[in-house]
Amino acid sequence: MIAYNIQNLRKTYRRQTRPATDDITFQIPQGEIFGLLGDNGAGKTTLVRQMVNLLQPDSGRIMLFGKDIREEPDYVSGLVGYMPQSGAALNRLTVGEAVYFTAHLRGLSRSAARAERDRLLEVWRIEQVKDKWSGQLSGGQRRLMQLAVAMAGSPPVLVVDEPTNDLDPVNKKHVWDVLREWNTSYGTTVVLITHDAVEAEKAIQRVAIVRDGRFIALGTPAELRAGIALQVHVELTFAPGAQAELPAGFEPRQVAADTWSISIDQGEVPPFMAKLDYTDVVDIRLQSATLEDLYLHYVS
Amino acid sequence: MSLSPNSAVSLDRKRQAVHIQLADLLLIQLSNYRWSWRGMVVTGVAAPLMTLVAVGLPAKQYGTDALAYVLVGSIVLSLMFQIMNQVAHNFSFMKAMGMLDYFATLPVYRFLLIIATVLAFLLMAVPSLLVTLVFGVLVLGVPLQISPLALVVIPLCALPLAGIGALIGLTAPSPQEVGPFTLLLTIVLLFLGPVVLPPVTLPDWLLALGHVSPSGYAASALRQAMVGPVTGRLWLDLAVLAGLAAAVLWAVGRKITWQPR
Repeated sequence: MIAYNIQNLRKTYRRQTRPATDDITFQIPQGEIFGLLGDNGAGKTTLVRQMVNLLQPDSGRIMLFGKDIREEPDYVSGLVGYMPQSGAALNRLTVGEAVYFTAHLRGLSRSAARAERDRLLEVWRIEQVKDKWSGQLSGGQRRLMQLAVAMAGSPPVLVVDEPTNDLDPVNKKHVWDVLREWNTSYGTTVVLITHDAVEAEKAIQRVAIVRDGRFIALGTPAELRAGIALQVHVELTFAPGAQAELPAGFEPRQVAADTWSISIDQGEVPPFMAKLDYTDVVDIRLQSATLEDLYLHYVS
Repeated sequence: MSLSPNSAVSLDRKRQAVHIQLADLLLIQLSNYRWSWRGMVVTGVAAPLMTLVAVGLPAKQYGTDALAYVLVGSIVLSLMFQIMNQVAHNFSFMKAMGMLDYFATLPVYRFLLIIATVLAFLLMAVPSLLVTLVFGVLVLGVPLQISPLALVVIPLCALPLAGIGALIGLTAPSPQEVGPFTLLLTIVLLFLGPVVLPPVTLPDWLLALGHVSPSGYAASALRQAMVGPVTGRLWLDLAVLAGLAAAVLWAVGRKITWQPR
């Protein structure tokens, strides 16, 4: 089943000449984790705000599970949990209240909404701030609360705008783990905007790279990789204090005291390895192009 | 990690019943006491009490009728501060902080959000109205004859003021610009016609301008419902207030669109 079917979506803001979204067409199957990558101002947030009916497109259609959201706006509010970029909206409620009221207004009974609140606070590891006003939280805690609010009532579609902003590495990993587990366990469709391409790669099944309001690439990370001349990163670590002896003709860059990284085309790997003097090499890592490399390739 | 047992894939979602939505939205809006109580004490209680003393003591020379204007005018002032200004601040905050967007992405009716906001601030205004009334009676010695109609009159006085506040909040470019504007409007509405100042102290042109001010009709209705006597004028006052309330709240509903911009 198709969760989102978006056709020829176009939106130009008042007093702007360049469209924020320019003839975008794509589909998101139910149960997919779909990522949107792009520079600041590329049009990602404008696109998702249209997908949750906060912004009306100038032309084009957005179908959610087969229904046109312009004709049936209630369908979106009933089925889509949205986490915006800014986290100040619920500053005057406590964390527990924000999650409870959201779950209750999304149709759960009072007792089910209370249980949902407790479960989500546990999932996001923020039980200890349940009674704090969200305005008093750290940026990272507020982001986790926003995720709990978006998920309250278990909507079948989640649209999250930069879910890992302000989070430390441990919590970033936790966000991707939970989104993946939620997606696997319940078939929740997840649409996410992120700049964190390296981390997102662990969760995203298909990705669109957005530039100037258009999709310049769309596919699975593997498909996008196949479409470009691939580079491989070779990371070499030498014994402490040893002189790094590297084959001529390559441009290494030092990434740590005894560690050097070289980016080379895939076909050049065997000759590079053949020429390498292994005497003082204590570690070698080969890494194929990451989602971040793809992103940088397509936007450059 | 323990995930929710609720099925995430069900597409059959029902809205909560209207009264449940209203109760939740009302509770959410009542949580505004957390930030607004300080302002409510200063502007909703202290300012009307100071007005009572500053205007009431000199007005004693004009007799009990004039003091009734001062007492009721102070209550109207309290209503303007507590309801019009606070609702303006609240809508402006909701717009700026993305809270309107939050509600727009939930399965709730927008007219319930407006009703809940107005009702919440009306409920939060009750203590300051009572303090102003009791203090005014004690200081000015105005004899009260409270009619049961006061139960209808007070909400009808509050509704158009709340609607005006909501329109200001939704129209203001930022929350910072709401305060000076609502303060200026409060002063204008207070002195436009016989609201807090007895008619004997006002020039004819200012008395005439009172007919275009909601505060003039609110003061007239409150005076009849609290001090008496109730006359046929009360029905005119209530009709004007009800008509104005319907018009501004309709405009607020138009201004809050779930698919804006």
